[in-house]
Amino acid sequence: MKQERINEIRRGGLVFAVLALLTALEYLLGTNAVPPALLWLIALSKAGLVAWFFMHIFRVFRSEGGH
Amino acid sequence: MNAREQAMLADRRTSPGYKLLTNRIGLWLFFLSDSFVFGGLLVTRFYLLGNQRPHLEQALGLIVTSVLLLSSFFMNRAEVEISRGNRKAFVTNTLITLLLGITFLVGVVGFEWRDAPFGPADGPQGAVFYMMTGMHAFHVLTGVFFLAILLRNGLRGLYSAERHWAVEAAANYWHFVDLVWIFFYPALYLIGSVVK
Repeated sequence: MKQERINEIRRGGLVFAVLALLTALEYLLGTNAVPPALLWLIALSKAGLVAWFFMHIFRVFRSEGGH
Repeated sequence: MNAREQAMLADRRTSPGYKLLTNRIGLWLFFLSDSFVFGGLLVTRFYLLGNQRPHLEQALGLIVTSVLLLSSFFMNRAEVEISRGNRKAFVTNTLITLLLGITFLVGVVGFEWRDAPFGPADGPQGAVFYMMTGMHAFHVLTGVFFLAILLRNGLRGLYSAERHWAVEAAANYWHFVDLVWIFFYPALYLIGSVVK
C-alpha cells in the first residue's frame, strides 16, 4: 500500500518532469520560428500525457475505486 | 426479462460502482462539450490572425504556463494522497494547487492584461487575446472555487480513501483547464510572427 503510494507520486513527478522539459523545448523552438506543426506535435504530446496520467482517461468506462 | 433479473438490474443501477461509472462518463461528456467552446476559440484565432500572433511578453507566458503545469502536479498528488487516506497531505497539496491557480490568474489577468500594448477593442488581436485568455481565466477561477470547497471539506474530514468522488471530479476539471492552456499557449505566444 505504502509502496503503491510512493510509486504513484514518483510517476506524477516523472510526468511533470517530462511536461516541463517539453514546455522548455516548445519555448526554445517557438522563439526560433520553427514550423508550427512541430509546436502542435509537442502540444499534442503534452495533452496526451495530462489526459493519460493525470486525468486517468483509461478509467472513464470503469467503476474501480468505489467512491 | 423475469422478476429476478429485473431486481438484479435494479440493484446494479443503485450500486456505488455504477454511480461512479455514470459520474465519470457525465464528467467526460462535460469536458467534451466544453472542448467545443475552446476549439471554436482556437479556430477563431487562426481565422482572424492567420500566421500572426499578438504582441505579448514571452517570459510571462512561459512563467504562467509553468505555474499551471506545476499546479497539475500538486493536484495529482492531492488525489493520490486522499485515495490512500492521507488527509493531511491531501489538504496541503490542495492548498498549494489553489495558491498556484491564483498565481496563474494574477499573472494573466493582473500582469498580461495590464501590460499588453493593445486593448480588447483594438482589432482582431485584442478580440482574440482577451476572449481566449478571459474564457480560460474564467475556468481557472471556477476551478479555484472548487479547490476552496475541497479544502474546506478536507479540513472537516469529509473525504476518505473510500469516499472522494468530489476530489476526483475537481482534480479532473483542474487538469482539463491545464490541458486547454497546453494548446492556447503556443497559439497565443509562439506560433506565427508578431502583429505589426
